[in-house]
Amino acid sequence: MQWFDALVQGVLLGGMYAQYALGMALMFGVMKIVNVSHGDLVILLSLVGISLSSSFGLGPFTVMVALVPLALGLGWLLQKAILNKVVGEDPLPSLIATFGLSLALQNLMLQIWSANSRSLPGGGIESKSIQIGGIYIGLLPVIVLVFAVALTWGLDLMLKRSRFGRALRAAAADVEAAAMTGINPRRVYASATAIAVGILGFAAVFQSLRSTVAPADGGAQLIYAFEAVIIGGMGSVWGAFIGSMVLGVTQALGFRIDPGFGVLAGHLVFLLVLATRPQGLFGKA
Amino acid sequence: MALTATLPGPRLTVQRQTRSGRIALVLFVVAVIGLAAMPFWAKTGTIRMVLELCCYIAVAQMWNMLAGYAGLVSVGQQAFMGATGYALFVLAQTFGINPFIAIFLSLLVPAVLAVPCYLLLHRLDGPYFAIGTWVVAEVFRLVASNMGWLNAGAGMSLSVMKEYSAFERNLAMSLLCALMILVTIGGSYWFLRSRYGLALIAMRDNPVAAASQGVNVKRLRFMIYVAAAVGCGFVGAVYFMAQLRINPPSAFDPMWSNLAIFIVMVGGIASIEGVLIGTLIYFIADRYFGEYGASYFVVLGVMTVLVALYARGGIWGMVSKRWDAPWFPIRRHLIITKDMP
Repeated sequence: MQWFDALVQGVLLGGMYAQYALGMALMFGVMKIVNVSHGDLVILLSLVGISLSSSFGLGPFTVMVALVPLALGLGWLLQKAILNKVVGEDPLPSLIATFGLSLALQNLMLQIWSANSRSLPGGGIESKSIQIGGIYIGLLPVIVLVFAVALTWGLDLMLKRSRFGRALRAAAADVEAAAMTGINPRRVYASATAIAVGILGFAAVFQSLRSTVAPADGGAQLIYAFEAVIIGGMGSVWGAFIGSMVLGVTQALGFRIDPGFGVLAGHLVFLLVLATRPQGLFGKA
Repeated sequence: MALTATLPGPRLTVQRQTRSGRIALVLFVVAVIGLAAMPFWAKTGTIRMVLELCCYIAVAQMWNMLAGYAGLVSVGQQAFMGATGYALFVLAQTFGINPFIAIFLSLLVPAVLAVPCYLLLHRLDGPYFAIGTWVVAEVFRLVASNMGWLNAGAGMSLSVMKEYSAFERNLAMSLLCALMILVTIGGSYWFLRSRYGLALIAMRDNPVAAASQGVNVKRLRFMIYVAAAVGCGFVGAVYFMAQLRINPPSAFDPMWSNLAIFIVMVGGIASIEGVLIGTLIYFIADRYFGEYGASYFVVLGVMTVLVALYARGGIWGMVSKRWDAPWFPIRRHLIITKDMP
């Protein structure tokens, strides 16, 4: 029962990681870019949300309504101001640019919000739980998982069905051919990054509800998102989702064995996947 | 060779050294001798400061070889620095081996660890490789924090160094500094001027074209990765020997990657001159603005972004566009001496 409980907790934790991983998978799929400041953006949005909540007395879901459009705008700006200038064959410029951005953001947040850990008051939602067959399941993790499934499903549907999704896939497959058919790659890229960062708006609210955030936490979130994407297999939205589940379950089981082993267990599974199935569990060889 | 003697055509010689290069080479030799002789002209405080400077130069040059030539962007070289530091502490402290012998024995550790790391990581595409190296460094840190015989999170002290007098320690640190610079800067220069250097430069410019010309890109990348691991490991061993203490957060500090990236990108990637310029800027900025803490790092971060956006070649890139006076020339110039009749 104890292990089954860990499994359930892991799946719920995976719901959190999926919200980080979706944006990363999308950006890499479309532009072959890894945004090193991905995790720092989650933390930035969380801290903005916490400040909004404390100064205007907003509830968590009102904060979310304010935060998601802000995140969309931030992503669009990030692409227009920085990433469009460094996207290309050579991975170095985009890595260095987002790396510098990460360093600047982290320390800017440190300057504004200090190194203290903060969290978003949820009005009791964070401590409610439901009992199913002898296991207590937190209400908040369930909501997180539901949002993760909905976001993954929505993103997948948008990529497959919508006009914009087709343009995105065309730009990902061959940017020059896409441009010839009348697609403006820069605009498509800007929308992709806006969506990727927009999803972080949801993630930021949940992350600051379920635990505390501090300016230096971004690196760990980046690593979890990255591991989830690689475990699941690159270039697939559901792959990123399943990868997040695998990572969440591994960490939860690891924590149950020894509290010092949880995060390490996640890393080890990532390395194991890399050694045995480098294209990821769901990637095409 | 026989062809050029029989066929009519211009007589060619290959010029590889320049006047500025010769001057710089002399200065480099003087600098290395000066480093080795530090106990005779510098105070202990100065030696410590110079040691730190040398560590920055060496780590940045290793990163430069990886990212600037081999196309391998790593943000996890601290993995090898920490691992080698720990190896030194275990050999010298736990097994009682003379620390100055242990420091060289400990270099086996990064060489051995780099092989499986590379075999795993090279499967990751471009930017994912970078984050992968970070994960490896995190694994090293977490493993060290959980290992009883490394004294887990509490870390270790190198108390055997008490057996040596202050002068002996200063002398040893100075000689190690000189050796570190000789190996990382001198070694890179020698490597870049060799046959492998030509292959490396071809690979930097276009890996596919280089492979078609017979350059074994895979093997060369692997060699650079292992060499950079050992180089960073050497820096780690020297640095922590001077610190006399090691614990997981300091041993596997991502700060080393931050500073290597800043130094190389701002100074000028794919050049030894850039590393020296970048280190000087970082070192001076750190002395004068380090007290401003967070806002100082915001400026460093923004500068890195600006370099990536507008000046990929960094400061040395701008300088060398205007004045053609390399300090470490690695190009080969064809000089037509006279036309054959």
